[in-house]
Amino acid sequence: MADLLSILSTASTSLSAQRAVLATAGHNIDNANTPGYSRQIASLEAVTPAEQVNGAYIGRGAALTTVTQARDRFLEAQIPRALGDAGFSSAQSGALQAFHGLDVTDSGGLDSAISGFYSGLRALAQNPGDSSLRASFLGAAQTLARTFNSTASAVESARSGLDAKASGLTDQIDTEAQAVAELNVQIRQARASGAEPNDLLDLRQQHLDELAELAGTTTVPTSEGDVNVTLPGGLALVAGGRAGSLSTTPDGSGHLAVQVTLPGGGLTTLSSSALGGSLGGTLAARDGALKTAGDQLDQFAFDLASAVNVVHQAGYGTDGSHGLDLFTVGATSSGAASQLAVAITDSAQLATAGVGGGRGDATNANLLLETEMQGLGTSGKDVQSTLSAIVSQFGSSTASAKAFADQDGAIKTHLTGLRDSYSGVSIDEEMITMQQAQRGYEAIAKVMQTADKMLETLLNLR
Amino acid sequence: MRVTDRLVFENATRNTARAREAAQQAQQAASTGVRVEHPGDDPAAAGLIDAHRMSSARFTAISSAAGAASDEIAAADSALDGVSTALSRARELAVQLANSTYSADQRQNGADEVDGLLKQIVSSLGARVGSRYIFGGTEDDAPPFQYDPATGNATYVGAHDAREVEIAPGVTQQANVRADVAVAGYGGGTDVLATLQTLRTALRSNDVSAVQATLDGLQAGIEQVATARAQAGVSMNAFDAAKSAARVASDEDEVSAGKLGDIDLADAAIQLQATQTALQASYAATAQSFRLSILDYLK
Repeated sequence: MADLLSILSTASTSLSAQRAVLATAGHNIDNANTPGYSRQIASLEAVTPAEQVNGAYIGRGAALTTVTQARDRFLEAQIPRALGDAGFSSAQSGALQAFHGLDVTDSGGLDSAISGFYSGLRALAQNPGDSSLRASFLGAAQTLARTFNSTASAVESARSGLDAKASGLTDQIDTEAQAVAELNVQIRQARASGAEPNDLLDLRQQHLDELAELAGTTTVPTSEGDVNVTLPGGLALVAGGRAGSLSTTPDGSGHLAVQVTLPGGGLTTLSSSALGGSLGGTLAARDGALKTAGDQLDQFAFDLASAVNVVHQAGYGTDGSHGLDLFTVGATSSGAASQLAVAITDSAQLATAGVGGGRGDATNANLLLETEMQGLGTSGKDVQSTLSAIVSQFGSSTASAKAFADQDGAIKTHLTGLRDSYSGVSIDEEMITMQQAQRGYEAIAKVMQTADKMLETLLNLR
Repeated sequence: MRVTDRLVFENATRNTARAREAAQQAQQAASTGVRVEHPGDDPAAAGLIDAHRMSSARFTAISSAAGAASDEIAAADSALDGVSTALSRARELAVQLANSTYSADQRQNGADEVDGLLKQIVSSLGARVGSRYIFGGTEDDAPPFQYDPATGNATYVGAHDAREVEIAPGVTQQANVRADVAVAGYGGGTDVLATLQTLRTALRSNDVSAVQATLDGLQAGIEQVATARAQAGVSMNAFDAAKSAARVASDEDEVSAGKLGDIDLADAAIQLQATQTALQASYAATAQSFRLSILDYLK
């Protein structure tokens, strides 16, 4: 028969179990706002084996068995991809939206500079002998060249800014990768004691989420309980307790390439497409739409300047000059927009006249005007349509990136919302659990009080 | 769905931020009146806006050049009117003084008047618009007729060509009156000034038959100038029409660019109100959801 002292002992164990429930609820409440925290559940069990008394089993109270985390592995498996995609498209979209060199409301843009050039030429063609109109047109040509320069410079500046951002991101990625590797070691050590290190697991998951968002990494759990991390191209970034690192190096085109030092050693240069997350999106913007816009501007500047130069060379200035270029542009389109300059400094050298024409002859000025409507060498479209196509193409890339960013952001929000719903802390629930533990604790104390009184009764027998 | 506190607060943060962003965008659109700023706002419209603006600027420039050309031709026509009047007076004198009843002295006086008319014509044909001599063809930086005070004769020293000005993209129209043709008789016509000089000489020498011989030349000269004025009228009409058409085309392009890039103000005002109302509702709902807590009920 269960003796009174064993009842006290059983109650003591049960009180301890209720304290654990209360402590877990308190821990949950403490971390209700901690990012990445998964609520913990203290599981109680009846103590076995029960005591056998005269063929009957009398229970021995309750004890804490485990404290587990509420985590949905299926949901969590989808989150790194969603975070990586959202990081990629958000970074790409942000970078493209931050570039304003081709804005349509910018009065100092290419469209107004080209319009100014041809408007000045039209005024000059009406009265080519007028020195003020010649000076004005020369100024418009210089403005056109400078606008090409500044637009190309804006593109290059945006791309260089993205280099700096990529460099900063590699540092962040290294920090996160190192943290995951260290946590792999700590978790392995903690598990050796037999218990689940829930808070360390949460912390590692948080760093894995950061890595996924920054670099589009995927995670591979191992049988030892470690988590290995791989980059989108398949190269390892974290292997057990060892972390690789990313770095940047000049790529020969004036920009930076990303290299990875593998956890086991060895340096590999990564292509932009082998990276995901914010880093991949940043490089995609730099080497995608912005580079395309820069190349198209170069080609546009080269083709326009070449077309104008061919006609200009055939004409005559009021000072008799002949065979001169109006614009200085390189032999190829490479860097043409940034290098474009006006080749002449004296407006008398503007070749407005045809062969044998007088000072007021606008034969060649009218031919120069025709370059506005003629198809350019590469695009085959006229000046207006060529610029329009460049602007529209950049706009399409930006709009597409923004649409992907919105879509990927919505998926990320949905999945992380579901995770928060499943793993997050509900203060309502925890308060109820606390009440439950408190009531249990009070009742068990009552059992102890009763057993104590019964002992007292026994001890007071005379 | 299990509702957790982090979920509640993150949803509140996200939803109020979204409502605030929508209100901010509506406010930005309403205050600037601009719908498309970045090419990504509407890629197709962005390209078209640039195209319309460039086209508008092109037509504005064509309109301006056509207007300037029209002004020059109007000035030329006015000068030719003076030439025509002078030639008519010279022919009157020739008809009158070809009559044998007039004396040598009277013919001397006539010669003086013809000399004055000659100078008047040369002066008229030296007309300038701005810094340009409008009757010299492409040689427009010097007077087209050179008057020699010693001989009292004038000769054409300008260019023998036409000046062309664009009236539409790729289309040009003659923008000058060919004084070398209309007055100097280049290309087989009558040299009006030479005829006047002949008349003056005939009057001074009291040579009636020589005076009579100039009558046909003077008549041909008058008709030549009239023909030039008619051609000037045609050109002026072409430039005036081009100016108006280009102005209309420019305005249409501006309107098209505006339609693509600007907001509808009424729509913007409604959108602003709607987003602000949504923001207020979001704030109210969020604040309300924070008020309810089990902590207020547990004792």
